[in-house]
Amino acid sequence: MSTTSRQPSLPGILGAIDRWIGHAESLILAVGVLLMALNTIANVVGRFVFGESLFFAEEVNRILIVMITFAGIGYAARHGRHIRMSAFYDLLPVTARRILMIAIATFTAMVMFSLCYFSIGYIASTQATGRLLPTLGFPIYLIYLWVPVGFAVTGIQYSLTAYRNATSREAYLSTHVIDHYQDVDPEKQV
Amino acid sequence: MATIMLVLMIALLVLGFPMMIPLVVAAMVGFWLSFDGFGQMNTLIQQILGGIRPASLIAVPMFILAADIMTRGHSAERLINMVMAFIGHIRGGLAVSTAASCTLFGAVSGSTQATVVAIGSPLRPRMLKAGYKDPFTLALIINSSDIAFLIPPSIGMILYGVISGTSIGELFIAGIGPGLLILLLFSIYCVIYATVKGVPTEPKASWKERVIAVRQALWPLGFPVIIVGGIYGGVFSPTEAAAACVLYAVILEFIIFRVLKPADLYAIAKSTGLVTAVVFILVGVGNAFSWILSFAQIPQTLLSGLGIYDMGANGVLIAIAIAFFIACMFVDPIVVILVLTPIFAPAVASAGIDPVLVGVLITLMVAIGSATPPFGCDIFTAIAIFKRPYWEVIRGTPPFVLMLVASAILIITFPQIALFLRDLAFA
Amino acid sequence: GCSQDTSTPAAGSGSTWLYAHEEFEGDVQDVFAHEFKNYIEANSNHQVRIYRFGELGESDDIMEQTQAGILQFVNQSPGFTGSLIPEAQIFFIPYLLPVEDEQIVEFFRTSVAINEMFGDLYAEQGLKLLTMYPEGEMVVTADTPVRSPEDFRGKNIRTMTNPLLAETYRAFGATPTPLPWGEVYGALQTNIIQGQENPIFWIQSGGLYEVSPNLIFTGHGQFTTAMMANQEFFQGLPESDRQLIREAAEHAFNYITDYVPGLGDRMLEKILQSSERVTVTRLTEEERQPFRAAAVQVEDRFVDMTGERGKALLDQFKADLRNVRSN
Ligand code: NA
Ligand code: NA
Repeated sequence: MSTTSRQPSLPGILGAIDRWIGHAESLILAVGVLLMALNTIANVVGRFVFGESLFFAEEVNRILIVMITFAGIGYAARHGRHIRMSAFYDLLPVTARRILMIAIATFTAMVMFSLCYFSIGYIASTQATGRLLPTLGFPIYLIYLWVPVGFAVTGIQYSLTAYRNATSREAYLSTHVIDHYQDVDPEKQV
Repeated sequence: MATIMLVLMIALLVLGFPMMIPLVVAAMVGFWLSFDGFGQMNTLIQQILGGIRPASLIAVPMFILAADIMTRGHSAERLINMVMAFIGHIRGGLAVSTAASCTLFGAVSGSTQATVVAIGSPLRPRMLKAGYKDPFTLALIINSSDIAFLIPPSIGMILYGVISGTSIGELFIAGIGPGLLILLLFSIYCVIYATVKGVPTEPKASWKERVIAVRQALWPLGFPVIIVGGIYGGVFSPTEAAAACVLYAVILEFIIFRVLKPADLYAIAKSTGLVTAVVFILVGVGNAFSWILSFAQIPQTLLSGLGIYDMGANGVLIAIAIAFFIACMFVDPIVVILVLTPIFAPAVASAGIDPVLVGVLITLMVAIGSATPPFGCDIFTAIAIFKRPYWEVIRGTPPFVLMLVASAILIITFPQIALFLRDLAFA
Repeated sequence: GCSQDTSTPAAGSGSTWLYAHEEFEGDVQDVFAHEFKNYIEANSNHQVRIYRFGELGESDDIMEQTQAGILQFVNQSPGFTGSLIPEAQIFFIPYLLPVEDEQIVEFFRTSVAINEMFGDLYAEQGLKLLTMYPEGEMVVTADTPVRSPEDFRGKNIRTMTNPLLAETYRAFGATPTPLPWGEVYGALQTNIIQGQENPIFWIQSGGLYEVSPNLIFTGHGQFTTAMMANQEFFQGLPESDRQLIREAAEHAFNYITDYVPGLGDRMLEKILQSSERVTVTRLTEEERQPFRAAAVQVEDRFVDMTGERGKALLDQFKADLRNVRSN
């Protein structure tokens, strides 16, 4: 809930990889949402025009929502957009905020990496039981492959945020976003 | 175990961690304590993914997408112009118009923040220029935008419906009565405020101008027709209505108004995807958190400890109202709905209360809680969007909070305010 | 603190066994679970804790939790097991199982397909099948009475998201429409769908007859469910406990097969008393013929989906049924 302004990305090869991941995330997000809209609208049209629901529509949406969610958490971390209660945090002076943000980002990254590890375990067990999507008929574990990737990317984002705060004089909400109260662009708040 | 989880969760929350962390860490600790280590973490992941599985949740990104398109297009402006043409000239007309426009835009958007941006941003400068004080203006915008949460579509209601297994269609219809009641109370207050403070009135629109304004607003007024009429008339399920709204929004802003270009669609979809992911990761970890509570049978223990099973229906409703109100002063409404709904579910079932009524009351309470000082998510949103200091933002809220609490009491006393339209529609 | 010690089979003193099912309080699976619990608790030091629908997630979730050993017992209808054990969808083939009470009970007791072949299928998934039991005949409710496939034409009938169930209603002449359970009542009211199918006690407890008042006993299906244990847990128990569990399942089976027929009659009576609009249509053998003929297409689809194993299971099912009918 703090207000933000955008800052240039990380330097060098790290920055290039980082930018590339960012583009991939936003592509998945946008395409995922548009496909979901198309699929859901097609299902409505199918029911009205052809009197037949698309039986795979629900499963396609299930695949897309996993994709959107786990591409989106990394993207949200990159832009400092995860919902948080910053009332107390905001009362602190810059240095204290910077130190607290190092702690927050480090701990969050650790949690994300553990979730990544646990979700690999879950995928392995789902693969072992051979559970299938009822209509589309392919193994369910395939639609979850995004999950550990999403957690890992989010974990990396928060690690970089911790690093950024450790090496700067300002408090950063993410690698790209300085935490302060000026230059608000309401269009970006949604 | 419950105590450890709760203390940990509040500590992480207060320190300013992203809200998924307090929930998921509390859940992890719950798993660790229940299963003597990390041997059963597969189920934690299963429940995170299970949380985002229900088909009805697809309505959330669809309504966000429709609102995102609307917010960037011409619809909000046209709705405001129509309302102004009719009631702008009465005493307090500009303020009443703000409340009414928020309600109308609420019929397009499921999010209070989108309403603050789309209606609050253009109308606040006009109100200040007309002589309204800023604390009043800010409080009016924040609280009127909360009506968007009650008027369908409502993301809060979709989440409540999915978690509690309640019909989202019925919840939507039942939210209309209380939403209009609050608009009425706010409007009365606006008229009184303008009279007491002697705010000058606006010029009256001619009938010709009114006809033009109505004609301009007809297109955006198609949204409530699709949502309410579609569900009421048996044309759409809520998810289908959401998809129809997206299609309609695209046709309106891209083809008829020609405000947006195909290239904009990419940016809009990206922003919708981002908001969806931020909400859905909370839905997922919230589900995992509820699972471990339910596994350890904490809700039952907690509720019987509070003596809630002997309170009767009204007692349970009041307990729910207070819990949601207080929680929303600290935490995002989405998180509150995710965490508290399953906790109270056994009490609601055993008292035999209509789950639709509970859903409406909960939605109202989270709206009030998020606009109430000292902490309320809406307050921080307003600080961010309008760049005003905390004290100025909260100074005008007390009368609004009083009116909202009054409407909560009215709904508990006269459930028909919520259920009348539902019974009419589904009978 | 955490006071619940679960499932650790401490020697001498009893353990607490966790049991999840997929229905609400007082429904058939809940009654079965409580009979099982009471028998165990009356005849040993063990405790059984029951979780109902939604408390630990959806049907697939509690199944996975039982496979993972978090839960010791689970009750899941084979129809929901389809994504895990495709052959379990055999129960969706219309007109395969009899709906007459005596025949169905006898079938579940004696069937080789159920007691041996299904046991093996579940064992592959780490589950010990303890018993399968009927929950009652599937009853269709619709906006008009239905006596023939022509009457079904143009009707959207709500089904669960299952290809075989969809195939059934397509074969019957209707339009299968998937919809989450929470939306069914409202969708019937507003006429998005014109019908649905469920056992009679669901139609009563969900109030579906209020909005879809024409009850049609098509005789096409028995709602069947299965109760099982985590295999590793079961095999790790001393023989005395395994025997106890078998006896408890047997006891609950006997109880429920008495309870279900009476329940169906009571629920229908209740429905007829509370609404004057309700009609009851029972298809005669002659009227069932065109539906039976259509069912062949569903059987073919089942074999397509499950291959040789499904075919063998289907043949054994039919052989078992011939035995029951000839007795
Ligand atoms: Na709304
Ligand atoms: Na709110």
